[in-house]
Amino acid sequence: MVFSFIVIPLLVAAFLPLIGKISKKLLPDVLTNAALAFLLFNSILLVKPIFTNGFIIQNLSWLGEKVNLQIALDGFSLFMLFTISLVSLCVSLFSIDYLEHYGHKANFYALFLVMIAAMNGLVLVPDLFSVYLFMEVAAVASYALVAFGLGSDELEASYKYLMLSVVASAFVLLSITVIFGLTGNLSFQAVAQGLQDLNARIVLGVCVAFFIMGFGLKAALIPFHAWLPDAHPSAPAPISAMLSGLLIKVSGIYALFRILYSVIGLSPALSRLLMALGIISVLVAALLALGQKDIKRMLAYSSISQVGYIVLGLALGTPLGIAGGLFHLFNHATAKGLLFLNSGSIQHITGTRNLDELGGLGKKVPITSGTNLVGALSIAGVPPLAGFWSKLIIIIALVQAKAFGYALVAILASILTLWYYLLIQRKAFFGQVREKWQQVREAPFWMSAANIILALICLLVGIFFTPVYKTWISPAAEALARGIHQVLMWGL
Amino acid sequence: MSSTILLWTILFPAVVAIILFLIPGRIKFLREIIAVLASGALFYLGFLLFSQKNLSLVSDWLGMGINFDLRLYHFSAFILLALAGFLFLICLYSAVKMQNHPRIREYYGYLFLAASFSFGAVLANNFILLIFFWEALLITTYALITLGLKATSHRTAVKSLIIGGFCDFSMIMGIGLLWASTGTLAMDKIQVEPHGLAAAAFILMMIGAIGKAGAMPFHTWIPDAALDAPVSFMAFMPASFEKLLGIYLLARITLDFFTLRAGSTLAIILMIIGAATIVLAVFMALIQKDFKKLLSFHAVSQVGYMVLGIGTAIPIGIAGGIFHMINHAMYKCGLFLSSGSVEHRTGTTELKKLGGLAREMPWTALGFSVCALAISGVWPLNGFVSKEMVFHGALETGYPIFAIAAWVGAIFTFASFLKAGHSVFFGPRSTEIPKTKESEAPIVLPILILAVLCITFGVYNKLPLQTFIQPILEGKVEAGVPLDFTSHALDLFNPVAGVSILCLIIALGLHFYGWNRGGRKAYLASEPIHNLPVLRQLYDLSEARFFDLYEQGVKFLQWLSKVLFRFIDRPIDYIYEKVVVSIGRTFTGLLQKAHNGQYANYLAWTIGGLVAVVWIILELLK
Amino acid sequence: MAIQIILLCGLIIFSVLAILLKDLIKAALSLAVASLFLGIIFFLLAAPYAGVFEISVVAGLITVLFVLTIALTKKDGEVKESRIVHLAFPIFFILFIVIDGLVMKSLLQKIPVLPIGPEAGTFGEVLWKQRTFDLVAQIGIILAGVLAVLALFRKKEEDKDE
Repeated sequence: MVFSFIVIPLLVAAFLPLIGKISKKLLPDVLTNAALAFLLFNSILLVKPIFTNGFIIQNLSWLGEKVNLQIALDGFSLFMLFTISLVSLCVSLFSIDYLEHYGHKANFYALFLVMIAAMNGLVLVPDLFSVYLFMEVAAVASYALVAFGLGSDELEASYKYLMLSVVASAFVLLSITVIFGLTGNLSFQAVAQGLQDLNARIVLGVCVAFFIMGFGLKAALIPFHAWLPDAHPSAPAPISAMLSGLLIKVSGIYALFRILYSVIGLSPALSRLLMALGIISVLVAALLALGQKDIKRMLAYSSISQVGYIVLGLALGTPLGIAGGLFHLFNHATAKGLLFLNSGSIQHITGTRNLDELGGLGKKVPITSGTNLVGALSIAGVPPLAGFWSKLIIIIALVQAKAFGYALVAILASILTLWYYLLIQRKAFFGQVREKWQQVREAPFWMSAANIILALICLLVGIFFTPVYKTWISPAAEALARGIHQVLMWGL
Repeated sequence: MSSTILLWTILFPAVVAIILFLIPGRIKFLREIIAVLASGALFYLGFLLFSQKNLSLVSDWLGMGINFDLRLYHFSAFILLALAGFLFLICLYSAVKMQNHPRIREYYGYLFLAASFSFGAVLANNFILLIFFWEALLITTYALITLGLKATSHRTAVKSLIIGGFCDFSMIMGIGLLWASTGTLAMDKIQVEPHGLAAAAFILMMIGAIGKAGAMPFHTWIPDAALDAPVSFMAFMPASFEKLLGIYLLARITLDFFTLRAGSTLAIILMIIGAATIVLAVFMALIQKDFKKLLSFHAVSQVGYMVLGIGTAIPIGIAGGIFHMINHAMYKCGLFLSSGSVEHRTGTTELKKLGGLAREMPWTALGFSVCALAISGVWPLNGFVSKEMVFHGALETGYPIFAIAAWVGAIFTFASFLKAGHSVFFGPRSTEIPKTKESEAPIVLPILILAVLCITFGVYNKLPLQTFIQPILEGKVEAGVPLDFTSHALDLFNPVAGVSILCLIIALGLHFYGWNRGGRKAYLASEPIHNLPVLRQLYDLSEARFFDLYEQGVKFLQWLSKVLFRFIDRPIDYIYEKVVVSIGRTFTGLLQKAHNGQYANYLAWTIGGLVAVVWIILELLK
Repeated sequence: MAIQIILLCGLIIFSVLAILLKDLIKAALSLAVASLFLGIIFFLLAAPYAGVFEISVVAGLITVLFVLTIALTKKDGEVKESRIVHLAFPIFFILFIVIDGLVMKSLLQKIPVLPIGPEAGTFGEVLWKQRTFDLVAQIGIILAGVLAVLALFRKKEEDKDE
């Protein structure tokens, strides 16, 4: 049942603090992972009905009384659900060992699950205001999670994140209010219909600008990105992985493009604007990443850069571009999740994240080093890893659309990406082992296991690219592209 | 018979190869028994398939017209049969000869793998599939050469890989051009006139085919391999398999994919390559002091006859070329095997050290003599028949120069084999080697089988010509041209045969002249020619590998890399170090300064961005 | 009208103060005052529910949270910043206000009157009948808030333990 994606994590989260009183570690670990594994399983079960029907709409009733509780699931949302479940399961596996020294696991897991429930909810609702609400739920949970370490850095980052994020939410809310004022409705379909009969281009243009700013801030598009390099590195590693891997995509990219695709319509002008924002993010963030000393900060800038790629693909609006964007979204979620988890492993192993202090860990910690290499190469786009294919598709789509300049910058930036990832790899893992790190040992079992699972996904998806692309990405992208055309009727 | 048998024809040897790889080295005999039985089974399968004629297996593979498309028809069935036959003989031979090889597991594994790829290449009816198998053969060739275990084996293996790679690359480009101009990859659907782009495609694909067959100038690895690789490899790859495959493809190119007209430029290019290969290689063969090396140059020289024959584009010439291919595979295989037999017993193949072995190794000597006479084109052996057909074809094109070149080749072929046979088996018994005896039956038997086949194919030449060769040409030549080549094949009394016989007599005379001059030492019989004024210098240069394009290429590349490093790479590196990195640093530094951790500052960027977005959208809406 | 303008100006001034003030506690308090202003505006605009929520949750609860968390942080040394960087926010903010004024003025005229007013009914009914899903989200927010408080108070307990 689709509703379980929201209810199960919420229920488990509600009871976890109580359970935490009984069992400090074991029960929360088991419960959280079981819940997430169930969600992953559930999302795989939904694949078949979605491909046969195209979409699922469920109306729920409460004790026989009809209430307005509608859930809509199509290829795009299922794709997101699957990605969320997969990455969050790996992250929670990682947390089993990693959170040992933070303590209060139950509390952590509870917040973690609320965040997942909110993301799932955001993906499932067909209603503007609900989108906003779930975005806020996820945001509140993530503020707390960023500050979970309670050091002064964490608190400051969380505070900054909160303050900027609130600005974004405010503009999103404002925009929703104006649209409600225009159409008297909030559900996607009704609003799209209402807008078609209406001639209010300027007003709507401003609304779209607010959306772009609000969701762009959530997605950390440049110039709305400033919070991310502070917030993501400060959080505990699993949370960095969640934020960079999933949250910015769900509450930023998914929300923005869901609204653009199914409500407002991706007009050529908007497409151009978003592509420009995307390419700026790709390039500027890649340059910024080069200068970083802290692994996690470097990864955070890289997230901005990769989000740029995703936006570039999705904003292009051609089926191939959308497919590339979606595929890159998935690949980035897994690979960046992996890299943040790896940075957590490194911190766990050595106690530092400063690249200049590390060195020669490769021989001491082969699993961490190997999985890190896989993730880095995947994001940097080295064949045959998954990231190569998605970048290739995006670049081909750009060339097909005759956007040669964009394609060129995209290629150049991917070289920069490779550069800074090799920098991490070389400084941290290759070369002679330093005196300091003679005694280090490989990360504990669950941390390594989570890393290996994600690395395998990067590798296997890359190797079995054709079946994955054909059965999974391409149909979702084509359905979306058809949807755009339907919505585009009235034109912005 | 279901057409999946075609798939099994390819998979079966591959499976056998894996089994042979896996059998531990300590277990004796088992691997030899499996190899002989499996190759025998394949030979039987070859007969079965030959009786089948047309079979076809098509299934989707990679899309875009790239299908897994296998087709068995007369020509491919014939080649398949021949390949399987040679595989069987080689396995039989290796059972004793290679018994104590330290890397015997790999040897058999690669042998069967090579067989599997060859079958695939022959059966392929899709160019991409063909390329796949064709390229895979390079790897097995490489591996088999390294099994020679000499100090220079590895180097020779690399050489064969690079030369082969170059030829295959040009074939791939040719196929690409052909694909672009015809739009299909199915081999049986292509038939184009070689004009313009198609002519380029023809030349490129031709290079691929004759490169595999070992024609000049792509032959240089073969003489090196003669010394560096196992002798059974020489009998297996350069003598039989590669000839069969290369000439098969060349024939397909000239008959099927392109319509080659007699006397056209492309035909003449082919004939020039053929004639040059014949003459140049035979001159090199003449002066060799090593049995195997001498044979290897002949393996190159004889390709010239095949290329020349096919290049005539006249039915009798083509038929002669193809017939020569199968004949050559038989006697050259037999010759290499007999040299191996000598090596097996005496431990050397240097002509100088050998002599008078005929008494101790009578069967080997007999087999060698038959094969040597066959390659020299002595009546009534098979070599005579196919060479006559090539001569006739060359004369009919109206360019007698090619026929003359072929005759020159015939003179020196015979002369060099007189020298080789005289040095090894006849003449006085050498004192440098201890007393020995005939090799074991599995070694002698393949040689004798091949010798018998040489006689059969010569005396009853109707049999192979009518069952194997003629059907290939049916429908490929203009209507009305007679396809019965047997009429003048064995005719001793015509001017062409007269000249050929004259050539043999000249060769005999040359040999005995040289033998007398060299103090009645047979291995010095070629010295008078070797010492001719201009030839001497050319030979010296050639010995120094001056004409070896590969060696020269390697030297050139080494020079080029030095120049590039000094004058291009270093300056670029400098620019990179100084300019690119510093620009990158500057940008990164600037951007980093803008990220100072101030909330108000960040908010400012955000608001600024919003203002910009609103402005742009409003502009776009106007 | 005059009261409204004064309230709005107060709201903006305290919001800007909240951003610009270096002392975090003062900034948090400014924020509380700003949301107090907003709450009053809500009351004046006949939206008592919103006003109550604004004042109780934002001005009350969240401010308490902030003050607590800020109290937990240690003081770092002053970071030196260049002048220009300090000027960035005021410049952009003033720019924004100006553009906002221009755009909103023309925009407000263009927004048509609501085609259908929200259905009559009590707040609770509307929430239950039409915005059921939002209730789930609200539960989520409350849950997240409570959990966040639990998580952020945690340190104190541990400190006591130590």
